[in-house]
Amino acid sequence: MNIRGKLGSFLITLLMVSLSFMVFDIFLVVSWNMGEVLRKEQENVGIEIFLMDDISEVEAVNLADIISGLEGVRSVYYVSPGEAETVFRADLPEQADLLTLLGPQFHLPASIQIGLYPDYRTSEKVGSLARIVSGMDGVEDVVYGKEYLPGLTRAVDILEKLVILAGLVLAVSISLVVANTVRLAVAKRALTVQIMSIVGAPGWFVRMPFLGEGLLTGIAGSTGSLLLTGAVSWMLMSSVPHEFIPGKWIMLVLILGASSGVAGSWLGMKSGIPKPRS
Amino acid sequence: MMITFQNVSRFYNEWPALESINFQVDQGEFLIISGPSGAGKTTVFRQIWMGDLPSSGVVEVVGFRSDRIRRGDLPLLRRKLGIVFQDFRLLSDRTVYDNVALPLQVIGTSPKAVRRRVFSLLSEMELNHRRGSYPHELSGGEQQRVAIARAMVAHPVILLADEPTGNLDPEVSRRVIDLLIEINRSGTAVILATHDPRQVPAGIARFLYLDRGHLVNPNLWGGYRQL
Ligand SMILES: Nc1ncnc2c1ncn2[C@@H]1O[C@H](COP(=O)(O)OP(=O)(O)O)[C@@H](O)[C@H]1O
Ligand SMILES: [Mg+2]
Repeated sequence: MNIRGKLGSFLITLLMVSLSFMVFDIFLVVSWNMGEVLRKEQENVGIEIFLMDDISEVEAVNLADIISGLEGVRSVYYVSPGEAETVFRADLPEQADLLTLLGPQFHLPASIQIGLYPDYRTSEKVGSLARIVSGMDGVEDVVYGKEYLPGLTRAVDILEKLVILAGLVLAVSISLVVANTVRLAVAKRALTVQIMSIVGAPGWFVRMPFLGEGLLTGIAGSTGSLLLTGAVSWMLMSSVPHEFIPGKWIMLVLILGASSGVAGSWLGMKSGIPKPRS
Repeated sequence: MMITFQNVSRFYNEWPALESINFQVDQGEFLIISGPSGAGKTTVFRQIWMGDLPSSGVVEVVGFRSDRIRRGDLPLLRRKLGIVFQDFRLLSDRTVYDNVALPLQVIGTSPKAVRRRVFSLLSEMELNHRRGSYPHELSGGEQQRVAIARAMVAHPVILLADEPTGNLDPEVSRRVIDLLIEINRSGTAVILATHDPRQVPAGIARFLYLDRGHLVNPNLWGGYRQL
C-alpha cells in the first residue's frame, strides 16, 4: 500500500468513527435539552403562603424568619398587601378595575414566597414542607403545584434513568463499533507487526505506533463527530431552539473515543503478533 | 551447541506435525532440512524462533529454553537469528533501504550507524542501486536478496531460510544459494529448508530428512546419493 492508499483508508476509518459517535452525540444533545426543559420547569417549583388578614407586618416578617430556617428553604420573600396590589396591577392591567370596584377597604392578602434548593423540588419534599408551614400560626393557605408536581417529579426521574441506561447501551455499542473499525484497520498491517516482532523489536516498540494510531483515530473521530453534530445543531438552532451539550459531556465523548480507539488497536495487534502456543 | 531439539513433539489438534525430534546444530554449521511438503519443516523453524512452542520436549536456542522463555525474552532470542521466508515478507510500504534497516532501527541503533551498515551490506550484495525502490518494483530474486540482507543486517549467529528459492527460477535460485554458502563461510550457522538438496554442493552441508513429522535416519536413508 502506498502513502496515498494509507491516508485514504485512515480517512475512511476516521469517517466511520465520526459517524458512529455522531449517533451518540445527537442522543446526548436531545437528552440534554429534554433535561433542560424539565430543569427550567423545576426551577419554578416553590411554595406560596397566604397569611391571615389580622397578621401584622412584624409578625409576618417573624414568620418568614422561622420559615427561612427550615430544611430545604433557599429564599423567603415577604409580599405585603401593598406590593401584592402593585404586582397585580402590573401583571393584569385589564383587571385593575376590579380592585377599584371592591373599594378601599379591600386589600389583597399578604403572602410569603418560598424558594427551594434543587434537591427539595420533588413533589414529596415540597408536600411535606407545605404541611409543616400550613400548621404555623397566621397561615391562611398554602399553595404549590400539587397537581403537576408529581408528574414533573416522575418525568425528571424517568428521563434521568433513561438517559443513563440508553447512554450506557449506546456508549458500549458505539465503542465496540469503533474498536472493531480500528481493529480491522490495524489487522490489515499484520505483516508489519509480524516482521517487527520477528526481527526482535521489543513489545512496546511494536505496539506504540498502533496504539498511537488507535488513540489518534479515536480522538480525531470523536472530535469530528462533535464538529459534525455542532454544525447540524447550529443549522437547526433558529428553527428548533436548543442548547449544545455542556463541556463535561463533550469531555465524556472524547474520553470514550480515545479509549475505544486504543482498545481497538490493542485487539487488532493481537491478531498480528505471533506468540508461542496459540 | 547453538540449537538443541530434545524429544520435541508438536501436535495440532492431536495430529503430530512433529514427533520425538532430536537433533543439534553447532556453531557455524550448514544444515539442510529436506522432505516433502507438509513434512514439518516450517514447524521446525517456528520452534527455533519460538513463534510456536513444542507440545512436549524442549528446544534450546542460543541459551534460551522453550520451557522457560518469557515473553520479554523473545526479542532477545530473535535478535540472534535472521529469518528468510519463501514469500519474502518485505514491507510493501517501505523502500529497500528501510526494509533492510528495520532490524537495526528496532534495537535503537543510531541513524548514522544504521546508514553505514545498510549501505555497506547493500553494496556487498549488489543491491545498492535498488535502495530507493519499493519491493513491488523488484524481481523475485532481488526481493529475496533484500530479505536476506534484512536477515543479516544485525549480524545474527544463525540464519534460518525456509524454502527461500521456492518461488524463484533455477538461475536465480543458484545465486541465492551461493549467497547462503558465502554467509556460512563467514561464520554464520545456516539452516536451509528445501525440497531439493542438490542445490547445495555435496560436502558443504549436513543433511536431515523429515517425513510426516519424523526425522528419518540419514544413515539408513540413501536418498541424498540417489538424488
Ligand atoms: N498452525 C497450524 N495449525 C494446524 N496445523 C498446522 C499448523 N501449522 C502446520 N500445520 C500442519 O503441520 C504439518 C507440517 O506443516 P509444515 O511444517 O508447514 O510443513 P512443511 O513446511 O514441511 O511443508 C502439516 O500437516 C500442516 O498442515
Ligand atoms: Mg513450509
